[in-house]
Amino acid sequence: MGESPDAASGGAFARAWAKALWGTSYLPMTQAQLEALLRRLTDLLAQTLRAEPLDLRVGHRVATELVAAHIASAEALGRTLEVIQLRLIRDLDLAADDIADRMARLMAAVATGYARALRDRTLDEQESIRRAAMTARAEAERALRASEARFRHQATHDPLTDLPNRTLFAERLAAAVDAAAGSGRRVGLCFLDLDRFKRINDSYGHQIGDRALVAAARRVSRAVEPHLVARLGGDAFVILVERSTGTGDVVAVAEAALAALAEPVLVDGHDVTITGSVGIVERRAADSSPDDLMRAAGSTLNWAKTAGGARWALYDAERDDREQARQALSAAIPTGLERGEFFLDYQPLASLHDGSLLGVEALVRWRHPQLGVLRPDTFIGLAEETGLIVPLGGWVLAEACREAVGWTAATAQPPYVSVNLAVRQVRRPGLVQEVRALLRRTGLPPDRLQLEITESTMMSGAEEPVRALRTLADLGVRIAIDDFGTGYSNLAYLRDLPVTELKVAGEFVRGLRAPEAPDERILASLVSLAHALNLTVTAEGVETGGQADRLRAIGCDAGQGWHFGRPAPAENILARVKGRAPC
Amino acid sequence: MKISDRALRAMASRAEAGQNTRRGTDAPEGTRRGGRALQRPDWAPETIDVERPSVARMYDYYLGGSHNFAVDRAAAQKMVAAVPEAPLMAQANRAFLRRAVQHLTDAGIRQFLDIGSGIPTVGNVHEIAQRHAPDSRVVYVDVDPVAVAHSREILAGNDGATVVQEDLRRPERILAHPDVRSMIDFSQPVAVLVVAVLHFVADDDRPAEVLRTLRAALAPGSYLVLSQASDDGRGEAERAEAEQVYRRTDNPLWVRSRAELTAFFDGFELVEPGVVWVPQWRPESPESAEDAERAVFLGGVGRLGG
Ligand SMILES: C[S@@+](CC[C@H](N)C(=O)[O-])C[C@H]1O[C@@H](n2cnc3c(N)ncnc32)[C@H](O)[C@@H]1O
Repeated sequence: MGESPDAASGGAFARAWAKALWGTSYLPMTQAQLEALLRRLTDLLAQTLRAEPLDLRVGHRVATELVAAHIASAEALGRTLEVIQLRLIRDLDLAADDIADRMARLMAAVATGYARALRDRTLDEQESIRRAAMTARAEAERALRASEARFRHQATHDPLTDLPNRTLFAERLAAAVDAAAGSGRRVGLCFLDLDRFKRINDSYGHQIGDRALVAAARRVSRAVEPHLVARLGGDAFVILVERSTGTGDVVAVAEAALAALAEPVLVDGHDVTITGSVGIVERRAADSSPDDLMRAAGSTLNWAKTAGGARWALYDAERDDREQARQALSAAIPTGLERGEFFLDYQPLASLHDGSLLGVEALVRWRHPQLGVLRPDTFIGLAEETGLIVPLGGWVLAEACREAVGWTAATAQPPYVSVNLAVRQVRRPGLVQEVRALLRRTGLPPDRLQLEITESTMMSGAEEPVRALRTLADLGVRIAIDDFGTGYSNLAYLRDLPVTELKVAGEFVRGLRAPEAPDERILASLVSLAHALNLTVTAEGVETGGQADRLRAIGCDAGQGWHFGRPAPAENILARVKGRAPC
Repeated sequence: MKISDRALRAMASRAEAGQNTRRGTDAPEGTRRGGRALQRPDWAPETIDVERPSVARMYDYYLGGSHNFAVDRAAAQKMVAAVPEAPLMAQANRAFLRRAVQHLTDAGIRQFLDIGSGIPTVGNVHEIAQRHAPDSRVVYVDVDPVAVAHSREILAGNDGATVVQEDLRRPERILAHPDVRSMIDFSQPVAVLVVAVLHFVADDDRPAEVLRTLRAALAPGSYLVLSQASDDGRGEAERAEAEQVYRRTDNPLWVRSRAELTAFFDGFELVEPGVVWVPQWRPESPESAEDAERAVFLGGVGRLGG
């Protein structure tokens, strides 16, 4: 269709139409674009009104185009009908006989088409926004679940290695034990610890330490798949072996883990060698609680460590019981001291010349509330390991001095009291003051106190203990070497030490059955050497008169043992001193 | 049956003494800020609540769209009752956006970052830009998850446009977002659009700093398009009444003066005619700029020199 004859008037109408539409809704186009569109539609309407027959489809088309161009509001329809009705016929000079009739029908078609298009558009938009809301909600829920999963992961995994952490491990172990309850199912744990890992941190720095840790974690967990490997913190890991069929299964897992560690890790150009130790527990799940399993694995790991590391150790119930009992015992020492559960017995040291009582050795006993009276060999070793020997030994020394004063008052020739000093006590600064203060407080003459030390105490080469002993010897305190003959037994060094007496270990005395036995010859030369050094010799463990005779023949000065009297309370010693009751 | 934590702790105590447990720095930001490791982290998303009106859908309603729910319409109608010109204001703002994008497209800009983009209804940035230059790339950003979901649907199949859900108040996150990075080359000029959004950002959220952060990421020749509600030139009484109205809406508006808006363009050179009522910004015809101050929105375009 060529240029319409009413170009100018069509333009004016389109402008008026555009103006009427302005502000009805947002029109995403320039004014010029809008006018161009309306101009085209104006022409369409004009042609239709002139044409025969009247094509009502054009009314629909115009309406649809308006809505498609986002001229889509009730106001826009109203203004459109108004402006067409008011101006189109006049502006475009469309007057004809039946024009009012044709116009009404065409406008009806426009209105119908517009309402239809607008409704479709509204429904489409409603549907699309609803769909968007649903999508957004689904997305938010999915993200929430993902974040929960992430949160859970974070709460149950170690951030450095991404291995399960202690929390997750505890859950899994508890679940495994629970699930096995009542069945014969077995479970195993490998408690793995890297040997001397701190050294790696110290020599390469934490960053490399961390990376080595990550590498080790990865290797181990790959090597023992599908078993759960958790990092408990630091360089401690634990492997859970569910449904074990026996010790062999778990040992195999431990070996795989150790083998995985054996290859050096290359971190940042450093060849870092890592070894590990593993404590293995394997048992019927129903027989144990998770706590027990963990504790047992932990003790077992310590065994592997103390055995030198780079190995596994298998749980041993007897050993564990023993260690636990020892631990319990040593833990009870401080309270025992507080509650006065310790007491002393004294064993006579008699002259081999005339049988007189030269001294007594203080022997500590523990009246344990559950275990009854305990001899020192059950707890002194423990006390030495833990350092509790210092307060315990201090108490023994003080108590012995206190009781010995009683005998001093009872006789002109009172026996001296001999007290064992542990290495730690001798090495401790302040020993001299302690002894001095004790002597002052109790009034015990210094030469009535003898301190027994072991050879090894003196052999350390340290100056300080020797100086302390010399000071004490200068005060008049007797110094004896206990258990002589069982250790290094170097007589030469005794020359330089402030020692007054040698106590020869019972082993030699037991060998004195036959005359001219090798032990007797050794003992004889020992005694003569000691005498040459101006030392007296006391033989321990003398049980028979025969032994006493032989010792006397050799020239030994004194004896201690059942033959001369068993350990007894202080009162008995007092009685003996007073001559009333020979032990 | 549960393992007592104490037992486990005891077992690991040797390890604790070592150094490799100080791992706070590996925790995600949220948990670190929370201090305690097991606090709900801040990346846990909120749920979608379509029972509350959304400014994005209210805006759609003002523009004549049907991408809205009854709650949105009710809120919008309340607003219209108080401020009858509200729909016209929205339309004038949207027209400003259209002219500004057209202007930038003519100036050769091919990358657009539209923050606070809203519900894509009619006259969206990518439609305007890509009609003129099909290679234009557009990233829409909005906090409203429904607006984002709707945008995603509209943009499906359009390789030159995408949408991300982020908050204008966290500009560094927007700039670091992988979808933003893959669509926009920040070594080339970018137009950042912050149109009819800044009045949702409180002074406490430091809008000037937000804009500075965005500016710092832009290459010379980039643009900033800003518009926001203003009370400029109004009397005390009118201002009080306007504030009254804004206070009653769910999203209080932070109206700002022309001077404040101009200051937001710090570092940019304002394109003629500067910061004006939006109908006055390069109007298509003189009469379309009539009654401009009733538009409530001030707007402007700035260019990053250099
Ligand atoms: C009035 S609409 C403007 C839409 C479009 N920019 C325009 O001018 O035509 C405001 C939009 O900003 C969004 N919005 C509000 N606060 C926002 C924020 N802090 N960060 C991002 N978008 C935000 C709303 O969700 C809404 O879609």
